[in-house]
Amino acid sequence: MRNFLGSLTGKIVRLLLSYRRAGGHALPGLIIERLFPDYVGSMLAQLPEGYVIVTGTNGKTTTTKIITHLLKANGKKVLTNPTGSNLIRGIASSLAWRADHFGRLKYDIAVLEVDEATARLLVGLIKPRWVLALNVSRDQLDRYGEVDTIASLIGVAMGAATEGVVTNSRDPYLVKQAEKIKKPVIFFAAAPRLANFFPNDYQLAAVDPSEKKTATKSQIPDVELTRFNGQKVEYTMGGKKLSTTLKLSGQHNFLNAAAALALCRRLLADAGPEDLLHELSNVSLAFGRGEKYRLKNGAEVELVLVKNPASFSQALLSYGSIKTQLMIAINDKLADGRDVSWLWDVDFSSLKGSVLAVSGTRAADMALRLSYDGIETREIEPRPREALRILSHSPGRKIILSTYTAMLQLYSYLAKNAEKLP
Amino acid sequence: MKKIHILHLYPNELNTYGDHGNRLAVMKRLAWHGYEPDVHYHHPGNNLPRAVDLVIGGGGQDSAQEDVQLDILRIGDSLRHFAEAGVPMLTICGTYQLFGHRFVTHRGQEVKGISVFDMETIGGDRRMIGNVMIRTEFGVLFGFENHSGQTFLGEKQVPLGKVLRGNGNNGRDKTEGARALNVFGTYLHGPVLPNNPAFCDGLIRLAVTNRFGEFEPKKIDDALAEAARAAARRRQY
Repeated sequence: MRNFLGSLTGKIVRLLLSYRRAGGHALPGLIIERLFPDYVGSMLAQLPEGYVIVTGTNGKTTTTKIITHLLKANGKKVLTNPTGSNLIRGIASSLAWRADHFGRLKYDIAVLEVDEATARLLVGLIKPRWVLALNVSRDQLDRYGEVDTIASLIGVAMGAATEGVVTNSRDPYLVKQAEKIKKPVIFFAAAPRLANFFPNDYQLAAVDPSEKKTATKSQIPDVELTRFNGQKVEYTMGGKKLSTTLKLSGQHNFLNAAAALALCRRLLADAGPEDLLHELSNVSLAFGRGEKYRLKNGAEVELVLVKNPASFSQALLSYGSIKTQLMIAINDKLADGRDVSWLWDVDFSSLKGSVLAVSGTRAADMALRLSYDGIETREIEPRPREALRILSHSPGRKIILSTYTAMLQLYSYLAKNAEKLP
Repeated sequence: MKKIHILHLYPNELNTYGDHGNRLAVMKRLAWHGYEPDVHYHHPGNNLPRAVDLVIGGGGQDSAQEDVQLDILRIGDSLRHFAEAGVPMLTICGTYQLFGHRFVTHRGQEVKGISVFDMETIGGDRRMIGNVMIRTEFGVLFGFENHSGQTFLGEKQVPLGKVLRGNGNNGRDKTEGARALNVFGTYLHGPVLPNNPAFCDGLIRLAVTNRFGEFEPKKIDDALAEAARAAARRRQY
């Protein structure tokens, strides 16, 4: 009855909203949460194969997409939550919308992307089969407090997993949490010689290379990223070396794929490593991040989300060295992180020459940061739309590194004034 | 070139809020003023160098603070000796707290400090988070605070500044930070030095004057810092 009424409430609220073009995704969930506090737990309990959690600081969305793709390719009916609705109320909204008119979910399994704080709350409602924890790094400390606090939230989620935990053996915070788990812990990792491409939080922040500590775990990872060159990647899976060419780009996504493979090997007992890798090569990510547009003058613009030192450093490793023109947009709204001190934990000295423009509410702070690494900023334009106009004055490929809310502002302008590229 | 020796305390343990930016600001501005910065990183268990002209220490997590506490007690006498010799120091957040008499964590654990400042810190249940503006001898300083510890200064302990916006030491008495001799403590991230070049140059002036008897600053173009400060002035808590 609760499932039926809860789902019905969600659907009605969403329909009312869509008639009014309000587009709100969380409101139906918020109302369900108030009326039927057990709704999410009771809905997920219907799923014959339960649900899994994907959490961590960076890469949740991509990893969830990859897992979903691999499961679907193996015949599973997979329920997942759309990007951004990763609070309990967002999940409630998704469940209500996907349920049939009787409040039934006709799916086999759910793969839910949730932030660390929500993961802890969600496992209190219903226990997940597996928890996949990708990484922990300093991110929005003004909201969550300390990195230790974030890691311990993940620890609580890990402790609730009924079958086991999948995590990165090179992330010292996560390894520490996983050590307390009595269920099986499955590791993924990048090979030690690729370590420079995937610095963990500790390495990003440490100053003295001789003093850098890494999680020295003797466990052999179940899935290891051993090599990559362009889109060609090699994984060692269960002792077997396998390579393929991916449609995914960005080295961080190669590691996210390793995480997804490690989990899917548990969820799909019948699928062989070759089959999984073949399916992985078909995954392409057509969603909000890394989108490309053509401006009216013909210049190509690609948007890349940066939200903390780890993701900013990854973006610079991926895009900073190639011959592109760069714009950086930094906002300090709650969703971006209000304290921009973290910009000083990113090393910009690998950038050559100048940055075309900086934008956002913290444009001046960004220009100041760059100046201390010897990088010149041509234009400081806090308004993102005006900054895009500056970009359109010169031809050639451009990359915009942007925090979350600045990216939303840029999208709304690009949607009207530029052509979206496939 | 004239060398200035910088001692960075626990850079791998206390570095949570962009604290490397303070070291970078000191090094770059020393170079721009015509001096050669020489940085020594102090890790737990190591010996301190003999030549020290300027000390910096950052903020960290409670757990890290417990880790470095034993070490800072070990080197406390040397640090107090440097302080009495007039060596300028910048201590932020976690290091600032350890420079007081004690820090009582929110779990009730007492962590002893090295008593350079006459003050104590009590772990609170509310985090004070937001943009801060304070008035000091170096002019108005802008930064970002993020701490649950409430610091209370002793009767004769002078603060670094008066709170114009934000909570400061404890959210009650309008004080922010502390100064004892040439040792400065503050909760300001931002990081504080790049965003407040007058403060950075003030520390450099003390360090250089101690070592060489005089300091002749060069003219530095601080237009970008001024732009960031103008934006900070308009910001809300």
